[in-house]
Amino acid sequence: MEEVITAPKILVFSTEKISDPAIDLAGLLKKHYPPTVYTINIPCSSAVKSRWVLHAFEAGFDGVFIAADGTDCAYSETCTERTGELVKKTHELMKDRNIDPIRLKMAAICSVCSEPFVKHMKNFVAALSN
Amino acid sequence: MKKRIGVYICQCGSNISDYVDVEKVNEIVAREQAVALSKITMFACADSAQNEIIEDIEKQKLDAIVVASCSPKLHLFTFRNVAQRAGLNPYNYIQVNLREQCSWAHSDNPPKATEKAIKLVMAGIERAKYSQALAPISIPSVNSVVVVGAGIGGMRAAIELADMGSEVFLLEREYFVGGRSSQWNELFTTNETGREVISRLYKTIMEYNNITLFTGAEIESKSGSVGNFDIKVKIKPRHVKPDCKLDWDKFKKAVEVCPVEFDDPFNFGLTKQKAIYKNFPSEFPEIPAIDVEHCTKCMKCSDICSDIDLNQKEEVLNLNAGSILLTTGASPYEPKEGEFGYKKIDNVITLQQLKRLIELRPDVLTYHNKKIQNVAFIYCVGSRQVDGENRYCSRYCCTSAIHTAIMLKENYKKINNFHFTRGVRTYGKQEILYNKSSKQGDIFFQSFDDSPTEVISVNGQTIVKIKDILTTDKELEVVADLVVLVTGMVPRQNNSINKILKVPIGRDKFYNEIHPKLRPVETVIDGVLIAGSCQAPLNITESVKSALSASSKVNSLISKGEIELEPTLAEIDDESCTWCDKCQSVCPYNAIDIKEEEGKSIAVIIESNCKGCGICLPVCPSNSIQLIGYSDVEIESMIDVLAC
Amino acid sequence: MTQPNKFDALIIGGGIAGEESALNLANMDYKVIIVEKDLSIGGKMIHLSKVFPTLDCGACITTPKVSETARHPNISIYTNSEIQDIEKLGENNFTATLLEKPRYVTEDCTGCQICEEKCPVIVEDQYQWNLVGRKAVYVPFSIANPRIAAIDIENCSLCGLCEKVCPANAIDFSQEEKRSNINVNSVIIATGYNLFDPLKIPRYGFGKFKNVVTAMQMERQLVPTRPYNNVLRPKDGKMPDNIAYVLCTGSRDETVGNPICSQVCCMYSIKQAQLLLGALPMADVTIYYLHIRAFGKGFCEFFQQAKGMDVEFIKGKVGLIKEKENGNLILRYEDIQKGKVLEAEHDLVVLSTGILPNTDYSSMFKNINIEQDDFSYVHQVDELCCPAKTSIDGVFVAGTSSGPMDIPDSILSAGAASSETAGYLKGGIR
Repeated sequence: MEEVITAPKILVFSTEKISDPAIDLAGLLKKHYPPTVYTINIPCSSAVKSRWVLHAFEAGFDGVFIAADGTDCAYSETCTERTGELVKKTHELMKDRNIDPIRLKMAAICSVCSEPFVKHMKNFVAALSN
Repeated sequence: MKKRIGVYICQCGSNISDYVDVEKVNEIVAREQAVALSKITMFACADSAQNEIIEDIEKQKLDAIVVASCSPKLHLFTFRNVAQRAGLNPYNYIQVNLREQCSWAHSDNPPKATEKAIKLVMAGIERAKYSQALAPISIPSVNSVVVVGAGIGGMRAAIELADMGSEVFLLEREYFVGGRSSQWNELFTTNETGREVISRLYKTIMEYNNITLFTGAEIESKSGSVGNFDIKVKIKPRHVKPDCKLDWDKFKKAVEVCPVEFDDPFNFGLTKQKAIYKNFPSEFPEIPAIDVEHCTKCMKCSDICSDIDLNQKEEVLNLNAGSILLTTGASPYEPKEGEFGYKKIDNVITLQQLKRLIELRPDVLTYHNKKIQNVAFIYCVGSRQVDGENRYCSRYCCTSAIHTAIMLKENYKKINNFHFTRGVRTYGKQEILYNKSSKQGDIFFQSFDDSPTEVISVNGQTIVKIKDILTTDKELEVVADLVVLVTGMVPRQNNSINKILKVPIGRDKFYNEIHPKLRPVETVIDGVLIAGSCQAPLNITESVKSALSASSKVNSLISKGEIELEPTLAEIDDESCTWCDKCQSVCPYNAIDIKEEEGKSIAVIIESNCKGCGICLPVCPSNSIQLIGYSDVEIESMIDVLAC
Repeated sequence: MTQPNKFDALIIGGGIAGEESALNLANMDYKVIIVEKDLSIGGKMIHLSKVFPTLDCGACITTPKVSETARHPNISIYTNSEIQDIEKLGENNFTATLLEKPRYVTEDCTGCQICEEKCPVIVEDQYQWNLVGRKAVYVPFSIANPRIAAIDIENCSLCGLCEKVCPANAIDFSQEEKRSNINVNSVIIATGYNLFDPLKIPRYGFGKFKNVVTAMQMERQLVPTRPYNNVLRPKDGKMPDNIAYVLCTGSRDETVGNPICSQVCCMYSIKQAQLLLGALPMADVTIYYLHIRAFGKGFCEFFQQAKGMDVEFIKGKVGLIKEKENGNLILRYEDIQKGKVLEAEHDLVVLSTGILPNTDYSSMFKNINIEQDDFSYVHQVDELCCPAKTSIDGVFVAGTSSGPMDIPDSILSAGAASSETAGYLKGGIR
């Protein structure tokens, strides 16, 4: 391989009704973000299991980003709180395994937040590169 | 595990293939053991391609298919249907988003986009391997609908829905129906006034047994979901006895004695109104109302008029509906103080105020007791803002301003109209009005975004200045008796309803549809539809068209008595579950119950309540819950492929 | 049992408005017949490249609707067919004569196009707006529905080669016109629009100067299924690098009898300009306009986006186009901002032609008159409250049959037509 330095790989958990449309919109508007960002979509960001996140790190992802529904969640008003809790719990599990907590990030991405999404991705990649 | 998977890589014309090397993707995925067949197609969604997929499924005995094309938001159902037609369970179909989340997002880097595409398709194949055949869940639906907002769109939708056989609950926040249309006199497409149109619709509505109108009504809470929403509605007291035969002379006296006076919102503050009021005689419902927010309960009116009942209390109603249609409308943009002299220079008003003023001054046009001759219209106030928030065009205002200018000339003598535009947008047949106003002698100026029109006050004169591109950028000035700010549309202020319904808001802050062409009146929330100017600035005809469009969508959704829902539910592993109630406590839908089995307590999913959100998954201490379609093995095998 | 010639609604025209109306009604369990005069349904939209303001491809939006329409159990489609006359017998009771024209190819055709290879006759391809040729036996276009060949009998030399090579034995020269009566409860007119013919403005040189093309011809050069797989100027096949758009060609122009604005030309020209800059990154694009009508949801932002991509906008009316020997064109125009008549050279000129009414509908109604508006569109008798209602009860109008409209507006208009039709069929109290 000629290319030695590869950009950090990021797994994004997006949500089908809220943040995934924003990520689609980023593409539609040709707002570029690093191609090492991969998305798996799920119904709601409060559904992410810690074991999936830990599995992603084990499998070789450098970062995991939860594109949360935030207050826009169509399922539950407690979504932000719930997602926050699961991130906190996962951070603790990461600590036990000596995984830098910086590698799991969460932010609310609304259904038209394409610009913030792209910014988050660029910042996250930059943070992980250091 | 599926072993004979068919993979289709769509070029999407060139949308995908311009940036992703589809040949390479095809070559690599074809090597996968579980892939029985893989193909490149120009348009996977085209009929011929769909037929080819069906033929392949049948002839090659495929047990799952993957189409790597655009976002599943567009074509998931298209291809599920293809699978079904070929006798394959629709849930053995997996869509991979190669366009929005790969070729377009990484059009700056085709080699990397290709690399990503390969992994995305491989992940799709993994998911297909574990896909299960599922049968959709059918839930009962009541054939009733709550229409929110009795403006022209809502009223029109209510009638059409009632015609089609649905029970309609029409809610209006104000005490009277008609919304914005009732504030306008002449309209630019017909000879009918806004008020006449509303009267006509109101009378029609009253003939229907299956429409119930509630005024002063607002949604307080919502529970349930598509097919079966439970909606709690708060109804403000009107303080006038229902169905009374009101003595109008006594009512007039009651208005006279009412000590409360405030700016009249109906006339945009041009006049004052009392707490007991009716905006105009032919307003509906016929009986007047007392504005609870302003009334001091001094009882002076009820002393005169026995039909007034100040003891009426707020009521709360429970409505059951299969669907909710929002026709909540828009508001005129309220200029900031000082914006083009608004509220700083005496004779600066908005277009909406002018329309009311024309009605209030039928003989001679005066404002603040001064006769008006020179009228300056300043366009795009609150729209097409270069620095402000509202980048969008409000669509109706050019024509509305020109139409009003024509009315001025027709109704009053010696009016001179000066239009300070940013390019006139009288699209379609409305062009005729623009021609007419030019022919009647109206003068049009135009400036570009970078040099806005200015309104200044010099020695008591109001001067409008423009760098006019129509006369080689000359600086021109007009001394105006009245400056009319042609204000655009903004979403309704104090939109409390959206705290409850949570319809997505677009970048213009209006409600957002799923897709402007494919699903223009539907929202991402099942069963909640939008129509009219709550969605984008629209004129009356356009609002009615969208309201009627929404009516047919609502009807086909709820009129069949049952609605098919996604079978993506949570599943409990009976063996490992040791009831701890954590899942039950977080479930927003009361979809988890407790049952006794083989001597122990375990959780059980109530299928008709479960929405498949998965909120219960991470809280389970024994990992005993899997979400169908998102099980650990599916997610983790996708992660493995994406990571390598 | 339902009778084969009886339907709840007759929809005349299988473009996007006809399809949307049909699908809505069919989803409410009404039996619908669509009669389309062309060889394929899909109307004009199916031929478009990406569509404004979202820039998703026209085909991606049309084809699923086309397929859904084609396979819906409640919808019967007759392509290459016409409604000759309609008589109203009473409320919920119309009778119509359906004329099915021979295609000379049966439904056994698989669309393999072997016949096309052998056919010796070459004529201009109307589906590529005459940019290239096609054979006398031909599959109309690649995403046509039905994707079945047809024989252009007027140009056919009757050599019989196609018949010999067809593997499906689908060629049938014995087909004849077929007339039948259908009984319907309601009618939706969705006959769409015609494009302005720029030959009517000789000073623009269309037809004489090869590098003056219409916007539809440019549209075909920008679609994925395009004829040259690139944007080329017709005269010499050179890639253009300085392209002009002449807006309001045939619109807002009393001299050609069309005083109204076509509502879509500004936006499609701005869209094409953006696509051209994608296809030819070094090219310059200039748009000569009077007013930019960027009024719909997301349109204004789309216009700003084009300006940001350095599309040049000149406010001015083009008066005359002359051709130079090298095929380049000289545009004489009034630059309104500069207050001068100027000339500019471009190597390709696109005429943004406007929308005209398709008046086919007017001759169909026999015993009852259908009113037209001042511009020969179907008159909307209650435009504010019932925008689909026409002068005949039970006859409704959808899409551009009632006036110029863009795609989202056509779809909403079709939605309104289906709703009003359903209300009529249910016998609502109005």
